[in-house]
Amino acid sequence: MEPEYAFTAEELARIAEIRRRYPTARAALMPVLWMAQEKFGWLSREVIELVAQTLSLNPAEVYGVATFYTMYHTQACGRYVLDLCTCLSCQVLGAEDLLRHLEERLGVRDGQTTPDGLFTVRHTECLGACGSGPVLMINNRRYVHRLSQERLDQLIEELRQGRMPEFASIPLPERPWEQEASSDS
Amino acid sequence: MPKVYIDDDVFEFEGRPKILEFCLQHGIELPYFCYHPALSIPANCRQCLVEVGQLVLNRETGQPELDAEGKVVVRFFPKLMPSCATEITDGMVVRTHRSSALVRRAQRENLEFILLNHPLDCPICDQAGECPLQELTYKFGPDSSRFEFVKVHKPKRIPLGPRVVLDAERCINCTRCVRFTEEISRSRQLTIIQRGDKNYPFTAPGMSFDDPYSMNTIDICPVGALTSADFRFRARAWEMASTPSICTGCARGCSIYIWTRHNRVERFTPRHNPLVNDYWMCDEGRLSYRRLNENRLDGPHVREFEGLRAASWEESLRRAAHLLRSAPPEQIAVLASASLSLEDLYVIRRLAFEVLGTPHLDFLRHEDPSFEDAFLRLRDRTPNRTGCELVGISPGPDGLPVQQWPQALRDGRLRLVLVFGDDPLGTGAWPVPEAGEWIVASSHWTETASRAQVLLALCTHAEATGCFVNQQGVLQRVRPAKASKGMDRTLVPEMGKSRLDHHATPFDRWWGHEHYFDCRPGWELAQGLMRELGSPVDYTGPEAVFAELAQAIPALRGLSYAAIGLQGVRLDLHPQPVA
Ligand code: SF4
Ligand code: FES
Ligand code: FES
Repeated sequence: MEPEYAFTAEELARIAEIRRRYPTARAALMPVLWMAQEKFGWLSREVIELVAQTLSLNPAEVYGVATFYTMYHTQACGRYVLDLCTCLSCQVLGAEDLLRHLEERLGVRDGQTTPDGLFTVRHTECLGACGSGPVLMINNRRYVHRLSQERLDQLIEELRQGRMPEFASIPLPERPWEQEASSDS
Repeated sequence: MPKVYIDDDVFEFEGRPKILEFCLQHGIELPYFCYHPALSIPANCRQCLVEVGQLVLNRETGQPELDAEGKVVVRFFPKLMPSCATEITDGMVVRTHRSSALVRRAQRENLEFILLNHPLDCPICDQAGECPLQELTYKFGPDSSRFEFVKVHKPKRIPLGPRVVLDAERCINCTRCVRFTEEISRSRQLTIIQRGDKNYPFTAPGMSFDDPYSMNTIDICPVGALTSADFRFRARAWEMASTPSICTGCARGCSIYIWTRHNRVERFTPRHNPLVNDYWMCDEGRLSYRRLNENRLDGPHVREFEGLRAASWEESLRRAAHLLRSAPPEQIAVLASASLSLEDLYVIRRLAFEVLGTPHLDFLRHEDPSFEDAFLRLRDRTPNRTGCELVGISPGPDGLPVQQWPQALRDGRLRLVLVFGDDPLGTGAWPVPEAGEWIVASSHWTETASRAQVLLALCTHAEATGCFVNQQGVLQRVRPAKASKGMDRTLVPEMGKSRLDHHATPFDRWWGHEHYFDCRPGWELAQGLMRELGSPVDYTGPEAVFAELAQAIPALRGLSYAAIGLQGVRLDLHPQPVA
């Protein structure tokens, strides 16, 4: 059956609620795009048009915003989008090797999706968790810290079985300079 | 009055002008890309940066403070300011590249940045020769780039729509095209997609940039990123000559340039005219230039047995006069065309009423409601209907209006039709009549032309001089943009000359004779017939005809070619009687 591109009544009510929070329809665009991506997986042409129509915006404008941010997918992507940080700290800790490992393991190149539609591999800029690198983000939300090749292999297996890794709180290392300062006084 | 100090000059100003606009108006050149006088100001290209400061005034005296050396003290903004977006205030001090090394450096280094990922493919780029990026780089840019790494590559040769092709690598993201679709044509079909060094203008996925005004983005694109699907790779800017003219596609009569090469018309581009079309024209009008090259009638013809054969001007005019003499005046009808100039219409009217003595004079209305829109396009597809009304192209006493002519031809009330520049049989205006004879003056091979006993070759508006009055009552004049056969382009002072005309050796100039047609303007043909019919008239040229028109028609009183100029004049079409 053809997928239906429409928002349900509840979703429309939520959009109306979002819309009320902003002075212009344009300003409400990002949360609504987010909602649409959660629902449809990625922002296809039909979804862009649906969002534009729902907010009375122009499709070109919606597309411009969607392509500006890497966390919106304007291309079909796998069920799990793995964004591996290759920015400075993670790189120093071996992220480039991990990326190659991931590519070999899944048989795809950076930016591609596995034929079974399960995984998309991408490199990304700093995820803001440099202290626990190398870091990877799944589907724009769940972080996996302190990666190694073994941890990656294990992660892939878990995801294949449909198990999302648990949220892990990584405590910041102690701050020696603060300690020194307090012990001085 | 408030004052502004720009480099070493003092200017008085009124209102709240922006620095860039003010400088350009006062002949001070500043480089810019994203600014366009008809669009909003995003200040994104940073090419127009200047130093801006304010005189320090003494609080007590209100006089400028002086430093130890007796010079005025200026408090400058900590950073350079974009002149396009900065309003002038009283006592402002502006330093451009003429007086500031800092500004010169900013201009140079900004260009280096803009060119960082630019492909530098000017030798194969359509924009070369009329490219602000190329010109400003010569004037203000660095002599070379220090960037030795692989450039960012982007899509090339992408049809954005049916008429506009994108080369994203050449784009400098000034957003002029996006702003055009948002603010002028309002189709909102374009946006900038992606981010950082990957961005370029594009449509929403699956959508086509088919805006009926899309090709204006090609003109305002300051680089070669947007090019014309039609004109791509056809001619270099310096090989062509451009002549100010108008578009005859509808009753708006947009001001344009006609570009020719080897005497062939290659393109139309809009010409700024605040009275008519501002900076714009519609795509359909722009592409109507093709008509000036195709299917053209070359030289006069006469009917012999069943066919038409080429004849000399003398023979064909004599044959036409003979036919006209042998029919009783009330059986002759004269059809003028609302695509002819005032000058043509005026002499044709004299021919009909004064020499032939027929009352049947009229013109056809060509209306197309589907063509009209809320911007420039008008349903009246003829450029000079107002002119026809002004000159008086309408039936005299007892004259039949044109709608009744087909019937009158059938029942024998009319026998001979003299057609100037229209095609009543081919445009579906009339059913093809079985009876009647035709003398036709036409610029193209048409259905009507093929029925003629005598066929006279008429100039198009690109080969003639004459005036047109648009629906808003703006009178504009056209000049010959291409030569007809036997005419030496270089001797016609008003004809546009190419850079090759001016600077190249004779061997590098235009060649070929295919695009010269043996044709004459309507007023000259009408005058030729009048002479053959024994009424010698002798206008020395269109200007002499216009001088007479200016006497005869109140709305034109006092006008001359010099007064009309390049922009034209708005006529008072309904003068109020003096109370
Ligand atoms: S609006 Fe009319 S006159 Fe202007 S370019 Fe289009 S067809 Fe020509
Ligand atoms: S460098 Fe990888 S999270 Fe910051
Ligand atoms: S003209 Fe582009 S910033 Fe001023």
